[in-house]
Amino acid sequence: MAYLVTFHWGWLLASLLLGLAMGWIAVVHRAQAVSKTTSRWLGVLAAALVAAAVARVIPGRPGYWLDLGLIMFALYLAGCAVGSWLRDWVVSRHAPAA
Amino acid sequence: MHGLFRWSSKWWPGVIPLVVFWAIAAWTTTPPLESDLAARSAAALKDSLLDKTRITVAGRDVTFAADAFSEDGRRGAVASVAAVPGVRLVNDETQLVPEAKPFVWSAERDVVRVTLGGSAPLPATKGRLLEAARATLGGVEVVDQMNLSRGAPPRFDNAALLMLDQIWKLKDGKITISDAKVSLAGMARELGGREAIAAALKNLPEGFSVAANEIKAPPYIFQAYKDPVAVTLTLTGYVPDNNAHAALVAAAGRKFFNEKVVDNIKASLGAPSGFANAVVPALGALSRLSTGTLVVSDREVKLSGDAFYDAAAAQIRAGLKDFPQGWQFKADISVKPASAPVDGTVCQQLFSGLLAKGKIRFESGRATIDPDSAGLLDRLIETALRCPSANIEIAGHTDADGEDGFNQALSEKRAQAVMDFLVKAGLPAERFTAMGYGSTQPVASNDTDEGKAQNRRIDFVVR
Repeated sequence: MAYLVTFHWGWLLASLLLGLAMGWIAVVHRAQAVSKTTSRWLGVLAAALVAAAVARVIPGRPGYWLDLGLIMFALYLAGCAVGSWLRDWVVSRHAPAA
Repeated sequence: MHGLFRWSSKWWPGVIPLVVFWAIAAWTTTPPLESDLAARSAAALKDSLLDKTRITVAGRDVTFAADAFSEDGRRGAVASVAAVPGVRLVNDETQLVPEAKPFVWSAERDVVRVTLGGSAPLPATKGRLLEAARATLGGVEVVDQMNLSRGAPPRFDNAALLMLDQIWKLKDGKITISDAKVSLAGMARELGGREAIAAALKNLPEGFSVAANEIKAPPYIFQAYKDPVAVTLTLTGYVPDNNAHAALVAAAGRKFFNEKVVDNIKASLGAPSGFANAVVPALGALSRLSTGTLVVSDREVKLSGDAFYDAAAAQIRAGLKDFPQGWQFKADISVKPASAPVDGTVCQQLFSGLLAKGKIRFESGRATIDPDSAGLLDRLIETALRCPSANIEIAGHTDADGEDGFNQALSEKRAQAVMDFLVKAGLPAERFTAMGYGSTQPVASNDTDEGKAQNRRIDFVVR
């Protein structure tokens, strides 16, 4: 893991920043939300992919691509969470004044 | 917290550029990642003792194939690849180098090349053997057909290096180490090479033994040529040592009373046993020939040439007395054409001339003719045959030492012994009279050893 981080830090940083931006936008965005059922299925899918990566069942290059994708996705999610939380904090600080 | 769930339902649009990023990242980073992991794996194996190492990387999975020389070494190598940071899985395709049983190594020499074959225990050993072969055999092509195998006996390297040291002493042949047994076959390059190899085999490392040593030596040659025109005896070839050399030249000097001895002999190891005992009598036989060649090759003695008369030829063909066991004597003897007859006066001159150059010798104090005098007697007989009408007195003389009666009897017996020899050679007995004069007719002073030696003599007097 440490090796992947040092080797791909640029891409991981890009994912994190993308997540921050998306999280920042999502708080006030009016886009269509994903339904609960769909998000549950997506959660199951993500868990299955993580399980596959941890169990190292996918060999060779696809295995590496899966690892890379999951790490980028994890950082994206982390970025989103931080971004949304920051936006929410900024919005709620300004709201009482308005 | 509830807010986070609400917002997360709107995070999905960012996944689209994320997937694009991911595709680009996967596309661009895979080859450098793989080559980086391959380099790190190779570096991790730097100190492992392996042969035929192959590392292929797919993604983060390393396929590692190699031949290891021990189970511990094999496990250690796999573990060190697995420990490389970034490696996800190791596909272990390593195996142990096959075990050779028996463990056979060989070095074969022919005229132009040396072929190293069989098994070597480690790549380092193999390299060292090749290097040593090239160093000792400068200029000779060295062909490597060695495989790597496990199961070498302890101290194999030392034994193999010692054998490589011997291969240059061979003209052709093969040295094989099978487990701890050494076998040698072939032909030594030089005389003494076989003995040198046998001596070197004593330095084999502990635990090794010689199963078979069939190194042959090149033939041990000694030659003598009696040239009647130049009046020389030319000796060439080899004798075992300097003592044998001196003894042989001295014997040649005694037997060839007339000829100058040209000595081109070299001393060398490797003489067959009984060499001197065979060569000295053979030289005696050569001294009886008018012209002839003696070739001694290992234990085979070949004598060819012309004898002075029929009986001499027959005696020489019949073989030699006191010839050592295991030696062969081959005589190809013809008889020299008889010389023109001469009258008694010329005969007397010829007798005197011969007896001035050489003397008929006897054993000290006895009437037994020394075999060294056979050549001279043959010449005297040949001369006697040229004047068939002359009657000849064989006169025995002694020096003045000892009692007169003993000397008289000795001189008579010696004269009689010479006469018997002539009769045995086919001359009619009635032409000869054997006379003994004791010390009554000295030709030199009896006060000196030299004078006494001159007085002890047999004279031929034509009557």
